[in-house]
Parts: sequence; structure tokens; C-alpha cells
Amino acid sequence: MIRLDGVTKIYGDDTVAVDQVSFEVAKGDFVFLVGQSGSGKSTLLRLMSREEIATEGDVWVAGRNLSEMAASRVPYLRRSLGNVFQDYKLLLNKTVFENVAFALEVIGKPRHVIREQVPIVLELVGLADKTERFPNQLSGGEQQRVSIARAFVNRPVILLADEPTGNLDPATSEGIMSLLEEINETGTTVVMATHDHRVVNTMRRRVIQLDRGVVVRDQERGVYE
Amino acid sequence: MLARIEYALRETWASFRRNFTLTLAAVLTSAIALLLVGATFLIQRAFENLLVQWRGDVAMIVFVRSDASPEQVALIDSTLRAAPSVIDVEKIRYLDKTESYAEAQRIFAGDPVTLSLLTPETIPTQFKVVPITEDADLVRSLAGQYRTLPGVEAVALAEDEFEVISTLSRFVRTVTLIMSLVLLVVAVGLIWNTIRTAMFARRREIEVMKLVGATNWFIRVPFMLEGLLQGLIGGVVSCFGVWALNSAWTSGVATFKPGTGISSLVVPSGYLSGVVVILLALGALVGAIGSAIAASRFLDV
Repeated sequence: MIRLDGVTKIYGDDTVAVDQVSFEVAKGDFVFLVGQSGSGKSTLLRLMSREEIATEGDVWVAGRNLSEMAASRVPYLRRSLGNVFQDYKLLLNKTVFENVAFALEVIGKPRHVIREQVPIVLELVGLADKTERFPNQLSGGEQQRVSIARAFVNRPVILLADEPTGNLDPATSEGIMSLLEEINETGTTVVMATHDHRVVNTMRRRVIQLDRGVVVRDQERGVYE
Repeated sequence: MLARIEYALRETWASFRRNFTLTLAAVLTSAIALLLVGATFLIQRAFENLLVQWRGDVAMIVFVRSDASPEQVALIDSTLRAAPSVIDVEKIRYLDKTESYAEAQRIFAGDPVTLSLLTPETIPTQFKVVPITEDADLVRSLAGQYRTLPGVEAVALAEDEFEVISTLSRFVRTVTLIMSLVLLVVAVGLIWNTIRTAMFARRREIEVMKLVGATNWFIRVPFMLEGLLQGLIGGVVSCFGVWALNSAWTSGVATFKPGTGISSLVVPSGYLSGVVVILLALGALVGAIGSAIAASRFLDV
């Protein structure tokens, strides 16, 4: 589903964010990218959603080589990806329903699809009773659920999550993680960057550890060290 | 498809309301710029009424009395052709009564009093003469001779009538043209700035849109539509302005003394409709250019 082949990313002239990274993620996998701030976790996620282009090496996502992908094809790649962020990136002037509907609207989905799909996903993330609230009227955990609903509403094959529990307390984080697990069980590949020990240690999933842009550990059913 | 169009229109309208003052400035500037463009066209066309009889380097017109006999006309013709060193005999043109009457209707377009005195029967016919010499005095002395020929009513020289109007017309055209060009550039800049501001105000939305896979065109279209609409509204406003100006001018010059030439400075309504179409198209173009530049440059947020 995802394959990195000797990927190097250099920002500017000499800031090496990712250095000769290679690994593969199979379909339906759940993978943690762990490491300290600045270790290159976010850069890897950005390379996978082609917000960045590798300086060297190839990034394959869903059968496509992103290094050779034309800019005009990128939107179509993004439609098969879901993105979740630490800061949710919700639109504050739109309701929960509108935020999720927006993701379908801007890729030109007809209205009946939106009316049908959005409630299903909001039910899945447990916000069926808060569809008309605005983001500011929700807790952090609820806002992250909205953002996950938005990422998942188009049924992506891959979900990329960058520190999704970074702003949340342990109990709320647990809820978010079980939601991501549920999404993973539908066959969606999940790649999550985090430095949340607790989350990684409870889940016991594959762990790829980065240190200054280099993979230092790749372990099935790993823990945070 | 319908959902996309609806989306684009809704976003355009929302942005219009959000940036009301900036939008107003952009619309008014394009309106004023286009108004000047329109005025340039009208002024030019109005002057042409006066200049039409001198078109094609004509420097001398020999008016022939309406009751002149064919022999007298033939004599004038042969006299003109007898001076090939001064006159370009190839270009001598004789306007009969019908042609002269048609021309007079343009010259006296805004002067119904004079026009009503003229009929195709009583109008003088005319010879249009193009000199080949640069020597104005030579042409003038020749004109003096022609005045004495039987059947000649009058001889008019471009030097006396045409030069002043022509120079004035050229001057006015240059000034209005430069001013309208400058203002058009300003209008493009203001629309560019409005769209840029609108995009900046919605940068979070644009970021999310790109994230979930909206195409660049999908993101751009509402903004480009917004700019186009601003230019177009400016065009509509300028059309009203041009129409009002023209009406005021036309009724104003109608009160001038006939025969002063001022009253000829009017344009036919058909021409006015043409100018309106040009202004609307130009307005839309200005908006499209301004917003296209903004939308293509500021999409990376």
C-alpha cells in the first residue's frame, strides 16, 4: 500500500529531515511512526500525502509513484487518503455536519451522496447528536472526532494521522485510538505519527522509530522505548 | 455538475458580502476607468462627424452651386485636372447631390435646424481635392483662382477648418486614452488585491480543500468568478454613466447656435450600443485578468 525506497528529504540547502528511509506498509496495517520532535515523522507523512516531494528516492502510495506524479494528479491521490492533524484543522464557521460535508462537496460529490454519507460517518465517530454544533462548542476530543469523520467520509484506503492525540488527555486519547482501530478494521491502512508512549504501548502495533531522519527500529507489536 | 455550479455561485456571493468595501472600491475604479474608455470612443466618433469630409488627405473642397449646369461642373473638373503639379488628379473625387446630402447628414448630425434647410435638391455638390505638393501657399493661391470660376459656390481649405479640429481631436484622444489605460491598470490591480484578500481570508478553507483533494480549478473558479463579476458590474455602472453623459451632452449641444460645428459633436445611438457592448466585455476582461493573476499566484497557502 505504501513503499518508501531510499527516501531522503532535504529542506533548503542542508536541513536533512529524512535520510535514506526505506520501509513498506501492507494493506490494512496499523503503523506508528515514533521519535522525538524533529525526527522526521511529520515529514514522512507529508511525503506520503505529497505535500512534500522527496529530494531523493521513491515514495509509492496506493500503487503510484509520487516522485513522478504530475501536480494535476495530486488532488486525485488525496481523495484516496485521509488526513488527521493534531490541531484538527476544522473550519470554525461551519457546523460539524458542514465540516464533514465540505470534504465531499469540494470533490464534486452530489448532494444526495452527502446527505446519505455524512450522518453515517458522524454516527461512526459518535457525534450523531452534535451535528449542528460549531467546533468551538465541542471538546478537543470531539473536535478530533469531527476531523476523523472528515478524513474518513470518502472511505480512503489510507489514513494518515499526525499526532492526533497530541492535544488530548489520556482518557480522551483512548477513545480516539479505539476509533482509529475501528477504522483500521474496515481495511483502511493507518499510519500515525506520535510521541505518546501510553498510546503506543497499549496498542501493541508495528512501530517504526525515527531518530534524526533515520529509521532506528522497525518492530512488529512494538512498544515506545 | 449542478452541485459544483451551485457551490461556485454561493461562494462568490459570500465573498462579495465579506469584502464589501474592497469590492466596492474595485467596482468603482473599473467603472470610472471604463467610463473614460467609453468617453474616448464617443469623443472620437463625435469629432469624426466634423472630420469626415476631410478624410483621406483631402485639403481642399470646391463646393459647386446646386443650380450649376453640367457644363460648368465639367469646366471645374477640367480646370482642376489642369494643375497636375499641385493636385493629385488621380484622387480628385466628385460627390454628387445624393453623396453630398448623405455626408451632410453626418456633419450636421446634432443640428436639425441646418439639416432641415438642406434637401438633396438644394445641396451643393463638391469636388474633393488631394494636393501632391507640400506647399500650402500654392494650394491657397489655386483656391483663390477656383473661387472665380462660374458655378463655384465656395472653396474650403483644410488648413482653415480641419487642422484645428484635427489637432484638438488628437490631443483629446491621447489624453483620455492614457488616462483610461492608467485607470484600467489600477482597476486590474484593485481587483487583484480584492481577490488576494478574499483568498487570504479563506486560507484555512483552501488548505482543507487541497487536503481532501479538491482540484486547483475547483478552488480557483469562485475567486475568478468573483473578479469577473466585479469587472462586469463596473462595466454596467460605466454604461449607465456613458449613457447619462451622452444624453446630457446631446441635449446640451442641441441648444448651441446652428452652424458652429459644436452641434455636430454627437454620436448615433447605434454607435452607443456598440460602445456599451465593448465596455461590458472590457469590464469582464479586466476582472478576469486581475482575478486570474491573483488566483494562480496565491493558491499555495
